[in-house]
Amino acid sequence: MHINYWNELTRNNFGKLGLAMLCLVLFIALFAPFLASYDPDEPSHSILMSPSFEHWLGTNDIGQDIWSRLLCGAKNTLLVALGVGVFTTLLSTVIGASAALVGGLYDRILMRLIDALIVIPAFIVIILVAAYVLPNVWTLIFLISVLTWQGGARLVRAQTLSLKERMSVYAARTFGANKRYIIIRHIIPNLSPILFAIFVHSATRGVFMEAGLAFLGIADISTVSWGLMMHHALRFYYLDVWKWWLIPTGLALSVTIMALVFIGHALETAMDPRLWEMEQEDWQ
Amino acid sequence: MKLPEIGTYAISFLIILVLIFLLPRMMPGDPLTAICGEEVLVEMTPELKAELMHRFALDEPLWSQFFVYLTGIMHGDFGYSYYYNAPVLEIILEALPWTLLLVGTSLVLSTVLSIFIGIESGWRRGKVSDKSLLTTTMILNGFPNFFIGIILLLLFAVYLDCLPLQGAKTPYSDLTGIHSMFDIARHLVLPLIALTLAQIPGSYLLMRNTMITTLKEPFVRTAKAKGLSEVAVRYKHAGRNALLPIVTTTGVRVGIIFTGALFIEIIFSYPGVGLLSYNALLMRDYPILQGVFFLVAVFVILANFIVDLLYRKIDPRIGVNNAEYAH
Repeated sequence: MHINYWNELTRNNFGKLGLAMLCLVLFIALFAPFLASYDPDEPSHSILMSPSFEHWLGTNDIGQDIWSRLLCGAKNTLLVALGVGVFTTLLSTVIGASAALVGGLYDRILMRLIDALIVIPAFIVIILVAAYVLPNVWTLIFLISVLTWQGGARLVRAQTLSLKERMSVYAARTFGANKRYIIIRHIIPNLSPILFAIFVHSATRGVFMEAGLAFLGIADISTVSWGLMMHHALRFYYLDVWKWWLIPTGLALSVTIMALVFIGHALETAMDPRLWEMEQEDWQ
Repeated sequence: MKLPEIGTYAISFLIILVLIFLLPRMMPGDPLTAICGEEVLVEMTPELKAELMHRFALDEPLWSQFFVYLTGIMHGDFGYSYYYNAPVLEIILEALPWTLLLVGTSLVLSTVLSIFIGIESGWRRGKVSDKSLLTTTMILNGFPNFFIGIILLLLFAVYLDCLPLQGAKTPYSDLTGIHSMFDIARHLVLPLIALTLAQIPGSYLLMRNTMITTLKEPFVRTAKAKGLSEVAVRYKHAGRNALLPIVTTTGVRVGIIFTGALFIEIIFSYPGVGLLSYNALLMRDYPILQGVFFLVAVFVILANFIVDLLYRKIDPRIGVNNAEYAH
């Protein structure tokens, strides 16, 4: 399965839109220090102010500038997305591919473990563990990845098993290729589309879970997190501040998740030949 | 074929059991606070401490602690909340009906709606109605469930002020019979809609995709060729055969809805186990937290098991697994 990601993504409307939205969030994350007019952590005496020329989205209950905090939150969210994406994909690949390549008892034990883990509601377990551990960003990334690799691993295993039986692999073997050569030249390159899809899905899940945990109040208070901002803002729902504090933050979060969902959908469409054919008819 | 692998579900159960046992005991600091919650410190006397140490066998090796813990759970003893001054199970059982009402109605509603719009959308594939449905649900997919809840709360309960803001019924109202039921339904509307909206995109996309692939099957053409009405082909032939994936993912969806209910209950102050565990989280009332999460996890594992069992009855072909990305 050879796929030119860029072509596939830009051919699909959802892919195009998702990429554009993600670029916007990335731009904000990178240039937040230049775009923000205030230090996001700096409290002031002007608390709970309405939007004004000085404070575009007003200020929160301890006088921090909400617009600056909103911009800064992008960095945290994207960091979690990237971290969870990379780490989960890595775990899924190592576990899934090794199960398929080694086989035997090792494969059976791992598959049984995956089956058992898949029926456990992962987010519930993550919330419980996080309630004890009180993670910072890095431990959170680790925690989410370690508890959500199972679905991806199963996909990688299935794909590796089918790749192992490819004609090209048999051909290489007849030419005397050893195991290492086959893994590096034949298995890994052909796994990459599915790995990319797993990466995007894990990143989406990471963003959602980080925001959810922060919304529950489980977050490192030294970081600027959109979920945590919503957690604080919800306490003031009876004031008008939700219009410029709660809603914009929620929208920023939703735009980020939406971007990843759109990209994921476009990739899936590109990878599933049946769906691909049908979307071709649909969207052109 | 064969029965579902009971062993697999036993392993899932064991993982949850061990996790909840090890978590408080592995944390740095005093295991007693980690097991009993921070509220226990208020009443802590040397005698109580000695008694608790003995009850949880904390001065004994880990395996005998596990044995004590296991015996407790087998007897329905999920610990004691020093915050509420009551056994954990009692408190949870009081909150559980509300959560079951919310989760149950949402599961039914979201499944029925997803099936219906999935069939219609798949049937009209490529038409304007299908494209707009697909786009709407994809956008909805980007909104986290708690933000959907917040928007509904602000719009209908705060801004328009036409539906109740919080709770599951009007306090001190002494309503009876039909009025009480109406009151409960009115309080259920917003949380239910929020939870259901968050649930629809995933199920709808699954239903639409299956419908589209089913419509390509020869038996659909046969049905059309026989001159059956369009509705009969759409629902009785194609739709019915496209139902399998949505049935098999029910177990996983129960898990997602339970997790979603946790957030939605907090937003609407709905007195179920979600709100209970949120308050426990704020109060560091660990016994409640462990109890709720243990029960929910076991419930979800059971739901998966039952679905697995039913599925093998409905479809004799092998149990293909799906919904890898459900969590």
